[in-house]
Amino acid sequence: MAEDVIFQPLQFRHLTVKNRIFRSSISGRWDNYNGSGTQARINWEESFARGGCGAIISSFVPVHLKGRILPSYAMIDNDDKIPFWRAVGEAVHKHDCKFIMQLSHGGRQRDVPGVENFMEKGMSSTDSPDTFHGLLCRAMSKQEIQGVVECFAQGARRAREAGLDGVELHASHGYLFTQFLSSAINDRTDEYGGPLENRFRFLQEVIRAIRREVGTDFHLQVKMNAMDENNALYPWEKKGNTLEEGIQICKWCEEEGVDGLHISMGSTFPHPMVPPGGFPPDELNWWYGGMVSSGSRAFLNYCFFHFKLLRPIFLWLWNRRKKAYPIEGVSAEACREIKKNVSIPVLNTGGYQDGALIRKYISEGWMDGVAIARPLIANRDLPHVLASGRDLPDRPCTFCNRCLVNAIANPLGCYELRRYDGDHDAMIREVMKVYDPPHFPAESAKSGHTFAVGA
Amino acid sequence: MEADSRTRYRGGVLVDVIRTTPVDREVRHYRRWLLFAVLAILALVIGIFLVRFNKDRPVSYSDPEQHYKYGSVGSEPGGSLVDAVGGVLPPYWIFVALPKICPEKLPGGYESLGLIYEGDADLPIGVSRRYRLGFDQVGLNCASCHTGTYRAAAGGERTVVPGMPSHQLDLQGFFDFVLGCTLDERFTADRVVAEIERAGGDLNALDRFIYANQLVPRTREATLMLANRLKPILDNPRVTRWGHGRVDTFNPYKAIQFNWNLAQLPESELSGASDFPALWWQGPREGMQLHWDGNNTSLQERNLSASLGAGVTPVTVDHANLQRVADWIKELPPPKYPFPIDAAKAQRGAAIYASQCTACHGDHRFREGTAEQARASVQGTRVGTVQPIQSVGTDRQRLDSYTYAFASNQYTLYPDTPYQFKNFRKTNGYANQPLDGLWARAPYLHNGSVPTLRDLLEPPERRPAAFYRGYDVYDQQKVGFVSNVSAEGGRRFSRYDTRLPGNHNSGHLWGTQLSDDEKDALVEYMKTL
Repeated sequence: MAEDVIFQPLQFRHLTVKNRIFRSSISGRWDNYNGSGTQARINWEESFARGGCGAIISSFVPVHLKGRILPSYAMIDNDDKIPFWRAVGEAVHKHDCKFIMQLSHGGRQRDVPGVENFMEKGMSSTDSPDTFHGLLCRAMSKQEIQGVVECFAQGARRAREAGLDGVELHASHGYLFTQFLSSAINDRTDEYGGPLENRFRFLQEVIRAIRREVGTDFHLQVKMNAMDENNALYPWEKKGNTLEEGIQICKWCEEEGVDGLHISMGSTFPHPMVPPGGFPPDELNWWYGGMVSSGSRAFLNYCFFHFKLLRPIFLWLWNRRKKAYPIEGVSAEACREIKKNVSIPVLNTGGYQDGALIRKYISEGWMDGVAIARPLIANRDLPHVLASGRDLPDRPCTFCNRCLVNAIANPLGCYELRRYDGDHDAMIREVMKVYDPPHFPAESAKSGHTFAVGA
Repeated sequence: MEADSRTRYRGGVLVDVIRTTPVDREVRHYRRWLLFAVLAILALVIGIFLVRFNKDRPVSYSDPEQHYKYGSVGSEPGGSLVDAVGGVLPPYWIFVALPKICPEKLPGGYESLGLIYEGDADLPIGVSRRYRLGFDQVGLNCASCHTGTYRAAAGGERTVVPGMPSHQLDLQGFFDFVLGCTLDERFTADRVVAEIERAGGDLNALDRFIYANQLVPRTREATLMLANRLKPILDNPRVTRWGHGRVDTFNPYKAIQFNWNLAQLPESELSGASDFPALWWQGPREGMQLHWDGNNTSLQERNLSASLGAGVTPVTVDHANLQRVADWIKELPPPKYPFPIDAAKAQRGAAIYASQCTACHGDHRFREGTAEQARASVQGTRVGTVQPIQSVGTDRQRLDSYTYAFASNQYTLYPDTPYQFKNFRKTNGYANQPLDGLWARAPYLHNGSVPTLRDLLEPPERRPAAFYRGYDVYDQQKVGFVSNVSAEGGRRFSRYDTRLPGNHNSGHLWGTQLSDDEKDALVEYMKTL
């Protein structure tokens, strides 16, 4: 397999990754409530490095307390977080794997705002709430925008000081950058709203501030929406940015000195196309309850998940536009168009698992690498499987999105019972491995494994 | 802090502090809007519902003759959707589809019963259409029983004469069909809706729902009730069938308007069928004893009461439209005899008529000139007064079907309105009628027991003992309709047996003693009336 494109190194300007498989950003609520990290996070990230990924893009790492999606994600809002992230980096580096921190701010998109944010609306480009959950927000003042720009710059500096290999700006999936970039969301009339170059201004200022803070030799990539499809769920919403606008933003990013692009799509998260695959109503009924107080439409959504008779209505809306896209490589076509227009390396995410498909896209120049999350949760050793010449693991990811919905309330992991032959206890044991080894290992215990379920 | 809070006290003790988040306030805000929207939509739906189901819009005709033939006098069901009253016919689309639902019951369609379709009209003469209770309804109007046809010969053109008795109409057959088909097991919601759509009824989903769940079951229920109430006269071998050109005026009235149990009445009251009378030239008749037995002297009350027989109720009556009909028939001239008349013979007959008939019936002057002149021409005669039954000697069943008890019930209608009845009286005979348009009023006598004028001048034992009614070819010799034809092109005529109760052809012996020549001359003269 020496000539397998998947396992050729990927050369960025200031970073070389040993293969083309990136662990895409995915979180999990196992850090401390105040945003400081835990051993579980280190265990989690290391498991992917051990599995053979070339690089790991971190979880959603908020640059400010107000910008978190859910509590109990490790943050990078203060220098006191640097030692933790250094430990994460070292654990990953042991396996010849790079670690890229995803610098993030949720803006209005705070699925569970946390008790500290509960009494205030989220900060955004607009006063209009998010269209899915009804998450409330207010338009930031220019002064506040400058404050957030600076948070990102400091976040990048902390990442570099922690010895990490680069940073990624999460400008996709409806978070704060998307709220500025999207024509469907941004209704400002000042220099941050209106034409595309104005909507790009916030991202541009963050890129420049980071370059000012960390220099030009630190890897900086941007995760970007190819297009918004903002009306994929509710047909009466605006369509948002088109692929042409997405390409233009990517070209501007390149001009601003960004080292790589990570292409996805969708102006909310979750979004009918992102992550592609199912949307399990049973899990939504069990776990969405944790969000009913977060947004003005959340209770209504919950009713649609809870009452079986209403589920088909919601699922019809949710699945309406999906048919136009594949599940595996949902945004691959769009990525190819972007790749044609830029000269920096381009990654793509959205339903990658099949080795043959990844190989085809990379070798045909649609993209330079893929970022994978769910299939890697299901099989941490997916890169080793692909390297062995097989295109799929024995128990592949089914794209059921049960991991996604469980993440609201439970430790992140694969909750697809079929992958465990229906053995619920086996599933729980697998999920709980993230706590192994524990932060305080028992002296006598060899493995440190302490979570017992079943008989 | 944006959050607001509210402190609750009960009995002076702090029990709770209620705090709200921005989301709570937003939800409260939009729930208020949601409530408002729900109420607004509800109000709109109720509004549309009320407008639709309260709309009362008859199909109107500016031409008075068209109005007479097709206009509504309010005999369609009305009142309210939850408590519909009135009407003897099902809603428009069911009425149209009915012959298709029970095809073998009426293979020739409504026309075979003697209902008259003109041009490409969707309904026959005498059936009106009116939007009521949210749907197109149909009802009977005056023209149903008072529009006749005649032909010179079997192959000839059919002439329609408004105001003429509908001698060709089998009204009982019509009721038999409507009742029978509505109560037939094929009268199911699915089939009715399917046949309506096949007949061109473009029903929307709401219409289909209401047809299937409301109209069809309710039509069935209403018909069942109607059929049960009328069973003692419609479905009783001891009660004489009405046959063509006749109706029992008062017995259905007793059952439908007053909920009488007809089974408890003496059978002598139940065979009360009589001929449809002519409706023309009513103006000069004001003040005469109207109806066959002369039980009322008010045209207005007679008209209103007759409309009740067509299915009108005090709740659903359309007084204004009824008045248009009343005004028109006041002036409607009787039709002239359309065939040749032997003037010399008629001249001779005139003298015989003057000696034999004028005292009770007036003469040709009644149809000439103004209403005043017509009335003056019968001044001082017995025209419009009741001839005692002992004297006239005709069949008494019609007289007996109108009773004191019934008259007193009539006085309960239209209470406390200008329309309350005041002039109904029980009489002891039959009224002497003016004979205008007599040729078109065959068969003769109140029960139509004598087919022609010439037969009427024979003593009862020589009058036809049995004959057919309903055929509209005219017999110019004997003056009346040809009465020996039992069927023609899908129409079956009714056999009239004078031996049955209510059908006797006895009495009215005036003129029977004349010579044949004199009788012929008299008949010739009577063509000019």
